[in-house]
Amino acid sequence: MKPRRFLSLALLAACATATACGDDDAAENASAPAQRGFIQDRSSSSPAEALFVEKCSMCHRAHGMGTIILARRMPPERAMLESRDDLTADYVRQAVRSGIGNMPRISRGEVSDAQLATIADYLAEGGP
Amino acid sequence: MTPPGISPRRFEEALHAFGAAIGDGNVFAAEDDRIAYSDHYSADETRQMPSAALAPASVEEVQAVVRVANEYRVPLWPISRGKNFGYGGAAPALRGSVVLDLSRMKRIAVDEENGTVLLEPGVGFFDLYDHLQDNDIPLWLSVPGNSWGSVAGNALDRGLGYTPYGDHSARICGLEVVLPDGGLVRTGMGAMAGGKTWQLYRHGYGPSWDAMFCQSNFGIVTKLGLWLMSAPETVVGVDLEFDQPDDLGWVVDTVAPLRRDGVIQQSPSMGSWLRSAAVLTTRDEWTDDPGPLGDSVIGAIRDRFGIGWWSLQLRCYGPREMTRAALDVIKRAFNARPVLAMKEARWERGDSPEGSPLTGVPVSFPLANANWHGGRGGHIGYSPVLPPKGDLAIEQFRRTHALYQRYGFDYHGSFAMGERSLTNVNQVLFDRDDRDMMRRMDAFFRALVADARAQGYGEYRTHIEYMDLVASTYDFNDGALRRLNEKVKDALDPNGIIAPGKNGIWPAALRDQAHEA
Ligand SMILES: Cc1cc2nc3c(=O)[nH]c(=O)nc-3n(C[C@H](O)[C@H](O)[C@H](O)COP(=O)(O)OP(=O)(O)OC[C@H]3O[C@@H](n4cnc5c(N)ncnc54)[C@H](O)[C@@H]3O)c2cc1C
Ligand code: HEC
Repeated sequence: MKPRRFLSLALLAACATATACGDDDAAENASAPAQRGFIQDRSSSSPAEALFVEKCSMCHRAHGMGTIILARRMPPERAMLESRDDLTADYVRQAVRSGIGNMPRISRGEVSDAQLATIADYLAEGGP
Repeated sequence: MTPPGISPRRFEEALHAFGAAIGDGNVFAAEDDRIAYSDHYSADETRQMPSAALAPASVEEVQAVVRVANEYRVPLWPISRGKNFGYGGAAPALRGSVVLDLSRMKRIAVDEENGTVLLEPGVGFFDLYDHLQDNDIPLWLSVPGNSWGSVAGNALDRGLGYTPYGDHSARICGLEVVLPDGGLVRTGMGAMAGGKTWQLYRHGYGPSWDAMFCQSNFGIVTKLGLWLMSAPETVVGVDLEFDQPDDLGWVVDTVAPLRRDGVIQQSPSMGSWLRSAAVLTTRDEWTDDPGPLGDSVIGAIRDRFGIGWWSLQLRCYGPREMTRAALDVIKRAFNARPVLAMKEARWERGDSPEGSPLTGVPVSFPLANANWHGGRGGHIGYSPVLPPKGDLAIEQFRRTHALYQRYGFDYHGSFAMGERSLTNVNQVLFDRDDRDMMRRMDAFFRALVADARAQGYGEYRTHIEYMDLVASTYDFNDGALRRLNEKVKDALDPNGIIAPGKNGIWPAALRDQAHEA
C-alpha cells in the first residue's frame, strides 16, 4: 500500500489561482514526502476502499469538491468522510441517491445498489 | 412519464423489451432514476427530465437497445458519463427521451509505445489516470477543469484541457460507432478488419468521418481512439498577473503570435479574479450587498489571493533545451510590459508531480464554485469564439461585463487562447433556489447569444436548453448548414431515435414543432 497523505485545506486557500499552485508547505503529516498541487491519494487496501476511491474519493479526499464544501459547515478535520465515525449506512445511501446540497445525485448506472451498499458500510465502519 | 407521442402502455412494453436486451436490472425507470439523470444545475430538474435510463455493458447490448428503440420509436440520448455540467449534465435536449448511459463500459487499451489509447465511453479521467499510474505508463492526460466526467464524452463534445493536447476532439483517432439502424462501423484505418493503424493514422481512405460524430446525433460512439502526450522531460513557464481589465488587449496580442507559431503549444486561459474566489470562498464572506461587486470587494479578493484582475499561466513542455529556449522567447515578449507580477514555474522529470490540470492531473475542486452564492448552485456555460485580437477581446469583455451588470450577475469570464482563435469561456454562476435570479438568467443568456451574433461570433458549444437558439445563429444562406445536417440526419436515422434536438438537429418527425419553438 502506498503511503497515505492528507493535505491541509490551507494549501488550497493559499493558492493564487484555481488552476495552478506552488509548493505545499502545509502538509499536515510532516513525514510525508513533499507534495505539490492537487494530487490526490488514490490508494486503497481493501476492495471496499478501492470502490470508494473509484466512485467517491475524487470529491471526498483532500482537494476534492466535497471536502472543500463540507469544510464550510463542519470542522475541517471532519470534512473528510473516511475520518468520520458518525455516518450511518442509511445516511450515506440517502446522500448519494437524493443528492445533498451541492453534491449531485449519483445514478444507479454509475454506482449500482450493491456497490453503494459496500461503500455505505465502509463509511459507516469509519473508513480504512 | 413517457417519451413524446408514446402511450404509457406502449412505453411499458418498450421497457420490457429493453430489459430483455440488457437485463431488467439495467433499466432504470423510477422517479429517483429520472431525477438522477436530469440536469442538476437546473432550477427545475423536471424540465428536461428523461423518462428512463438504460445502462448497457457492451457494444452488442448497445446495438440491441438501438433495435428496440427503432421498433418502438423511443428517442435515446447517449451519454458517456453525463457530467456535462454547465451544458445540461446527463439530461436530454428533448424531455422524455431515454438516457443511454454508457458509464458501465470501462475498457481501456493503451499503446504505450505509440502514445495512444482506445477506450470505452465510461472511462473517466480519474480511471484513465489511475490506469496510467498503476501500470507506470509514462503518458499524460489532458483534463478539463471538471475531471469527474469521461474522456470520450468530453472529446465528443469538443471539450478543452490545458496541455498541448488540450483540444481534445483534435486528438481523436478512430471511432467505433453504433449507427441509428443498429449497424456497427469503425472509422479511419479501423475500417479494415484487423487493421494495424486504427489509432495511428487519422484520415483513413476516402472521406474521414470522426468529426461527424462530434456534437452530433448521427451515431453512438462505443470506442474512441485518442492520442496521449509523452510525459515530457520538463515543464517550464510563467504565472502572470495583470492589474487592469484593459490589460487583456495587449496580452492577447502578445500571446497570439507565440501561440500561432507554436512557441506556446498549450491553450492558456486568462481568467478574472472570481475564478479563485468562487472556488475557495462564498460570496457572503465578502459582502452582503446583492448588487454588482465593487472595487473594494474586488480589491479585497485580489489581496487575499495575491492575484491581478486577470491571471494567466503559460507553460512549455519538452526536452530541457527546448523549453528553456521557449521560455526565453516568452520572457522577451513580456519584457518591459506592464505586468503586475511574473513568477517562474518549473517542473522536471523526477520531481514530485506538479499536481494540476496544467500537467494533466485530474481534479474536482473547481466544481466547488457551484457554492459561490451559498446555497445549491451551478452555472451555465457561454463560450463564443473570437479572432485572437486584443482590441476585439477588450470590446467583448466590456460588452459582456455590462450585460452581467445589467442582469445582476458576477462577472466570471476567461479567455482560452487557441492557435488562431480566442474562446471567451464564461461560467455564469447562479443560485438554483433563487427564483428571481434564475428568471433573469434566461433573459441574460439570450442577450449574450444575441450580442455575440451581432459581432459575428458563435458559441463553440452550448447548454441543452439553448441548442436551437445557438443553432439559429449559424444562419448563412438561410440556415443551409441546418438543412444539410437535417438531410444527413434523415438519411441515417429515419425514425429519429438518436438524440433528437442535439445541437439543434431534429429528425423529420419532430422538426416542425422544434422550429416553431
Ligand atoms: C467547474 C467546471 C469546470 C469545467 N471545466 C471544463 C473545462 O475546463 N473544459 C471542458 O471541456 N469542460 C469543462 N466543464 C464542462 C463539463 O463538465 C466537462 O466538459 C465534462 O467533461 C463533460 O462531461 P462528460 O465528460 O461526462 O461528457 P458527457 O456528458 O458524457 O458527454 C457530453 C455530450 O456528448 C455527447 N456524447 C457523449 N458520449 C457520447 C457517445 N458515446 N456517443 C455519442 N454522443 C455522445 C452527448 O450529447 C453528451 O451530452 C466544466 C464544468 C464545470 C462545472
Ligand atoms: C462531484 C463530487 C462528489 C462526488 C463524486 C461525491 N460527492 Fe459526496 N458530497 C459532495 C459535496 C459537494 C458534498 C457536500 C454537500 C453540501 O453540503 O452542499 C457531499 C456530501 C456528502 C455526504 C454528506 C456528509 C454530511 O456530513 O452531511 C455524504 C454522506 C457523501 N457526500 C457521500 C458520498 C459518497 C458515498 C460518494 C460516492 C458514491 C460521494 N459522496 C461522491 C460531492 C461529491
